[in-house]
Amino acid sequence: MILRYLLPLLLVAAPLAVSAQVAEAQTRLKTAVTEVLAVADRTANRAALPEKLRPVLQKYVNFDTMTKRAVGPGWKQFTSAQQQEASRLFSTLIIRSYSGKFTPGEHPDITYKPAVSLGADRVDVPTSMVYKGSHYTVVYRMEQMHITDVVIEGVSLVANYRSQLDAQYKKGGATAVISSLTQSVSRPQ
Amino acid sequence: MKSHAFALRLLLLAAAPLLVDCSSTANTSSVKAGSSDVAKGKAADKVGPEKDADADEYAAAPDISDPLEKLNRGTFWVNDQLYTFILRPISKGYEFILPRPVRKGIDNAFENVKYPVRVVNCTLQGKFKRAGQETGKFVVNTVGGVAGIFRPAENIPALANLPEEDTAQTFAKWGIPNGPYLVLPVLGPSSLRDGVGLAGDYALNPVNWPYLWWYAKRSKHDWVIVPPLANTLRSTPAQMDKYDSITKDAVDPYLSARSAYSQNRAEAIKK
Repeated sequence: MILRYLLPLLLVAAPLAVSAQVAEAQTRLKTAVTEVLAVADRTANRAALPEKLRPVLQKYVNFDTMTKRAVGPGWKQFTSAQQQEASRLFSTLIIRSYSGKFTPGEHPDITYKPAVSLGADRVDVPTSMVYKGSHYTVVYRMEQMHITDVVIEGVSLVANYRSQLDAQYKKGGATAVISSLTQSVSRPQ
Repeated sequence: MKSHAFALRLLLLAAAPLLVDCSSTANTSSVKAGSSDVAKGKAADKVGPEKDADADEYAAAPDISDPLEKLNRGTFWVNDQLYTFILRPISKGYEFILPRPVRKGIDNAFENVKYPVRVVNCTLQGKFKRAGQETGKFVVNTVGGVAGIFRPAENIPALANLPEEDTAQTFAKWGIPNGPYLVLPVLGPSSLRDGVGLAGDYALNPVNWPYLWWYAKRSKHDWVIVPPLANTLRSTPAQMDKYDSITKDAVDPYLSARSAYSQNRAEAIKK
């Protein structure tokens, strides 16, 4: 009986909740981008940028989920310590790679397009970016208000690493994955 | 002998569009690896990994078969040396000599001239509205943008940021599969289908028409090689940037480039 009255209410409320979630994701992404650009602006020393950006990125990016998905099904065979180490190395690699994209004095011109709810706390925020005169389509994949993937011109960061780390896992399990990440992180820039 | 020389020159001249594809490559053949394969890993010796929907999130990412991996890896290595010791220094020199606004204007003009590549492929794919937009963009940029040096069409929402179309995308729309993944000399990541498509793009690009025309006539007008060479030169810095961004922080640069290529092409075909 109660359901009879509750169901219409739920049907009306569900889209409202989704739209609030979508708006919140977009706002959070804008905040993250603003914070990142502010840090990049006041960091004259480019070599120091990765460490300056790390706390900001850790606040908005879920590196554990990214690492887990970049490794794939083999992740469950990692010990807890190996998972932590892989996550630490992977986040270092991503932060360093991301920091390297900034050119002093250059600001991206970002247009935020309507975000799309994918259900289960997942939201895609598509953006259009003009940086150094070139145009890029960038989609930020967010879950529970944290970025879990970035798709640039159709290329998913996580899927790209997945192709590499999965191959490493097949060669030598968790040890090979961690070793390959260590090598990449220690490679001089 | 003549045909070999022609093939070589064609390959070199086509390097620009090819390198562009570096940015868009990728693969996930390994991504699709099932959990049984993963069990080969040392950590999985005792028990095969359980299915984990979350960790397996990217199992269905775009894939491309790579039966020639050994050969491709060899070509990839040679290309890498070529980029490092020849193309990157040339690219740096070009960037040093010409300021960015000038380079941007040159890029714009060359991209504008590629209009036949876009409009023919839009039409062949049945995208008649897009073909009309491309025509509008070409007219606006050519007339209002001083032969395409500037891009006033970007300020017209209906004409701004139109997705690129090329011959390989047309083949894909017609249902022709990728075929095996190929790393072409100089040009980099491609596939059998996309490699053939590249020849179509080359023939449709007016920059190459004088060269193709005079070559067919067995003429000795050497100037005809200048437009294609200039096209290659002007696009090299952007291609080097893309190549670097894909390979620099990669665990396995070859797999990173292959994955980026297949993902990027799959996305371009969807648009």
